[in-house]
Amino acid sequence: VYQVFESVAKKYDVMNDSMTLGIHRVWKDIFVHKMNPSPGTILLDVAGGTGDIAFRFINYVRSVWERQLQRRLRHHQNLSWPEIAKSYQEDKSNSLGDSQVVVCDINKEMLKVGKQKAEHLGYSEGLSWVIGNAEELPFDDDKFDVYTIAFGIRNVTRIDLALQEAYRVLKPGGRFLCLEFSRVSNPLLSRLYDLYSFQVIPVLGEVIAGDWKSYQYLVESIRRFPPQEEFKAMIEDAGFFKVDYQNLNSGIVAIHSGFKL
Amino acid sequence: RCQLAPPQRALQASAVLRRVSDEQKKEPWASPSQFDSPPADQQPDREPQGPSYTGQGSQESEDYESEEQLRHRILTAALEFVPEHGWTAEAIAEGAKTLGLSVAAAGMFHSSGSELILHFVSQCNAKLSELLEQEQKRVQLGEAEKKPTDQFLRDALEARLRMLIPYIEKWPQAVSVLLLPHNIPSSLSLLTSMIDDIWHYAGDQSTDFNWYTRRAVLTGIYNTTELVMMQDSSPDFKDTWRFLENRVADAMNMGNATHQVQSTGEALVQGLMGAAVTVSEAGTRAEL
Repeated sequence: VYQVFESVAKKYDVMNDSMTLGIHRVWKDIFVHKMNPSPGTILLDVAGGTGDIAFRFINYVRSVWERQLQRRLRHHQNLSWPEIAKSYQEDKSNSLGDSQVVVCDINKEMLKVGKQKAEHLGYSEGLSWVIGNAEELPFDDDKFDVYTIAFGIRNVTRIDLALQEAYRVLKPGGRFLCLEFSRVSNPLLSRLYDLYSFQVIPVLGEVIAGDWKSYQYLVESIRRFPPQEEFKAMIEDAGFFKVDYQNLNSGIVAIHSGFKL
Repeated sequence: RCQLAPPQRALQASAVLRRVSDEQKKEPWASPSQFDSPPADQQPDREPQGPSYTGQGSQESEDYESEEQLRHRILTAALEFVPEHGWTAEAIAEGAKTLGLSVAAAGMFHSSGSELILHFVSQCNAKLSELLEQEQKRVQLGEAEKKPTDQFLRDALEARLRMLIPYIEKWPQAVSVLLLPHNIPSSLSLLTSMIDDIWHYAGDQSTDFNWYTRRAVLTGIYNTTELVMMQDSSPDFKDTWRFLENRVADAMNMGNATHQVQSTGEALVQGLMGAAVTVSEAGTRAEL
């Protein structure tokens, strides 16, 4: 798994765009919307290498926080201007309302690409980059509000261990969210999807990234991944409650959600 | 609304769901004297006597609190934050925080805040029922006099509307959410059962056409008074109570006026009943 992603790291984003025709951005947007994080949330994004989810999270939380501040200011219209100026000072150093995201990935190269992207796009606050294995996270118990893993869990050898680790590091009441390719229910769509996956994607891999094998592996790992209901049962086995899933594009991708109650 | 919890997974010790034995040491259902105080006061954490939870004790072999009960606890805790944040997921997140849960627990509910509002409404209705029950007991024991119908209705509606006072600023938002198409079934059923309750305690014995008119009339009075209350700025909502008094008086007078049209009405009703009986007899005869 490590070597696959080492070679894939630099071209990862480009390949995502071409393979999914850019729809992966929409999926990730829907994912973060479903999370609906409030300011002060601490997110652990596992296998989050190039930072897509982390950046979206930061944008979301920043806009919610700004809206909250505006609402608060509107109610305090009888403040004197030294007091208002002071509140601006406080807010500047706290543009995310104390939210934080820790991006954890097993692969250094993916993290490097992510860090560069962050600098390039101007994200400075609230981000941390940590190397770690999803089956054995380098974090203490009960630390995070939300644990996300987007398109990463199918690459984990022991999924049950990863789920148990997720349970461990989440705070009570915390949420587990997983965005992953899943089983397409519609038979016609399924045929088209198979055709596309096995014929087109490895070719794209070769042309764009110069790597047929890695993308062959990718497509096969998608097929090997358990279907929605089975994965839901696995999540429940790890101890999560209120587990359910939402299919996007009739099953090409599914978002599973569970709570540590 | 009798929702049975999914079977507990016996092997996992839940991180949050508390053991029932812990909860029973807490105070049982609040005494009536507390009803007039704002509902923001922490409700007792469990509702063991609530009818929605029948069957859970027998279902689970372990005595852990169910998801449903936890959800109720979170929503109750969230009510405290409604004046500041409105009926939103933010209020629910703050509520979860006070219970020691992560803010992400608010993700268990819809982001529109509908569940919070419905929870509040059903809590208010339950409190009203308790109040009316207590009053009825007092009358039966001879400790209090039975009120005339119009006074009774006025007092019941006033008590119920007063429960909105701590949240009155954000209540228009709540009303608009309750009117959303997917919320209408729940909000309507809560409303009708509350009105039913009030008429029941008012001693309504009617089984005829009057049953519907009374429900409709009282529902109308309640809704219009609620609207008046939302834009009332008089001290202690004096104007609202006066409006209520007038509407109830109108309704009583209307009752008298209908006596005059009753003969026509009665004939109509009897015609309908006759038709219904004929149809049902024809049906049974066809089965034979």
